[in-house]
Amino acid sequence: MSAKDTFIKPILAENPITLHILGICSALAITNSLTSSLIMSVSLTAVLVMTNIVISLVRRHLPSSVRLIVQITIIASAVAVIDQVLTAYLPDAARTLSVYVALIVTNCIVLGRAEACAMKCGVGTSILDALGNGLGYSLILIVVAIIRELFGNGSLMGHRLLELVHEGGWYVPNAMLLLPPSAFFIIGFLVWAIRSWKPEQTEAADFRPAPLPEKEKRS
Amino acid sequence: MNNNSPIKAFLVVLVTALVCSSLVSAAVVILRPIQLNNQMVERSRNIIKLTGLVQQGVTPSDEEMLEIYREMDVRILDIDQAMFNDELDPLSFNQRKAVNNPELGVDIPTDQDLAALGRRSRYAPIYMVLKDDGRLDRLILPVHGTGMWSTIYGYIALESDLNTIAAATFYEQNETPGLGDQIMRPEWQAQWVGRRIYDEVGDLRFAVNHGKVEPGSSTWLYEVDALTGATVTGDAVTAMIRYWFGPDGYRDFLDALNRQESGER
Repeated sequence: MSAKDTFIKPILAENPITLHILGICSALAITNSLTSSLIMSVSLTAVLVMTNIVISLVRRHLPSSVRLIVQITIIASAVAVIDQVLTAYLPDAARTLSVYVALIVTNCIVLGRAEACAMKCGVGTSILDALGNGLGYSLILIVVAIIRELFGNGSLMGHRLLELVHEGGWYVPNAMLLLPPSAFFIIGFLVWAIRSWKPEQTEAADFRPAPLPEKEKRS
Repeated sequence: MNNNSPIKAFLVVLVTALVCSSLVSAAVVILRPIQLNNQMVERSRNIIKLTGLVQQGVTPSDEEMLEIYREMDVRILDIDQAMFNDELDPLSFNQRKAVNNPELGVDIPTDQDLAALGRRSRYAPIYMVLKDDGRLDRLILPVHGTGMWSTIYGYIALESDLNTIAAATFYEQNETPGLGDQIMRPEWQAQWVGRRIYDEVGDLRFAVNHGKVEPGSSTWLYEVDALTGATVTGDAVTAMIRYWFGPDGYRDFLDALNRQESGER
């Protein structure tokens, strides 16, 4: 795969969220505000780049028996540092994101890229791969956050765009969009849209439902 | 060295652990002062919002904030004795650390423990905003209680009648994002203004109402609207107010202060 492909492909064609369905938990939890989504996107991309670089550098010295332990230790340290930096320099944002920054450790995209790319490729490729996947994750987060914040709260990044009814305006906000399940629907629709556009992403069915027995069919 | 040898595996894990832990510790140590400073600024910002000395929507600079902070009378209250303690320094006293201190903290009797705290500090820093003639204008009291996931911290400012809420704020919590954490929203906190804690006979009536609070109804004076989807958080806020303004909380102090104020008049 060329360097350009390594970077471009994960953004849409092999997007970690819509194709691999990874990293869903944070995509559900913090996308009710565009600001938190942006900070989360930057944090995750930073963690991805840092861990991919480090793991790619030490990949030849990782015994396979302790490989995952070392990878997770590196990821957890990167996340702890990012968490500390956020509470120091962006205290308000850190307060809104609360536990979700720390939960980047459990974000499957990070460990997934470490295993799938950084363990096999050189530093250059690993950085491109990390940036591509980070941008792919960010793209979905931002799209979902725009839909949720705009129609759920009538605002974007805290700026009021649609005047809400209870503040004397005309727009009745859809409160469901502020709740995590709405992100499920939106991501579902995104997956559907992308797979209709690129049918090669559709997976073969794992199984077909067994035909109903004759008796039950009659009743 | 062979990657599969146990010694190599051991060494790799050891080196990773050492390098990673020193990196994280370094980050924590270097950034600690900045984080503590953020907390201090945040705390005074929260209190200053409640003094009524800053115009709505205006964010004072750090110096202006300190100016206002100095004009306030900050005292340490001995909650059980209902009197001031002059030995503790109000500026350095940390109510949260005091909770687990054997001297400064005290267990809350189970039947009194509405806010599910277990323990609390014997002392609380209280902030008095004085009028030009030295009489009390507002009294700002810290409150905290256990919510759905976290401890919720806030301040309640009372008018000089020591009953009407002049302003309220909740400034720290880890409730459900998008639901319970809405108690931090200024719009929600704004409806606390003008509500009362006690009724005419002195019963504690304040509550976060589950339904709609109808203006003019009998409970209207004492209730604020709950947040949709945040029943547990709302109930926790009710419990917290009932605890802190009840007999194990500030009630004795408020009664004593009331007697003193009416005596002076």
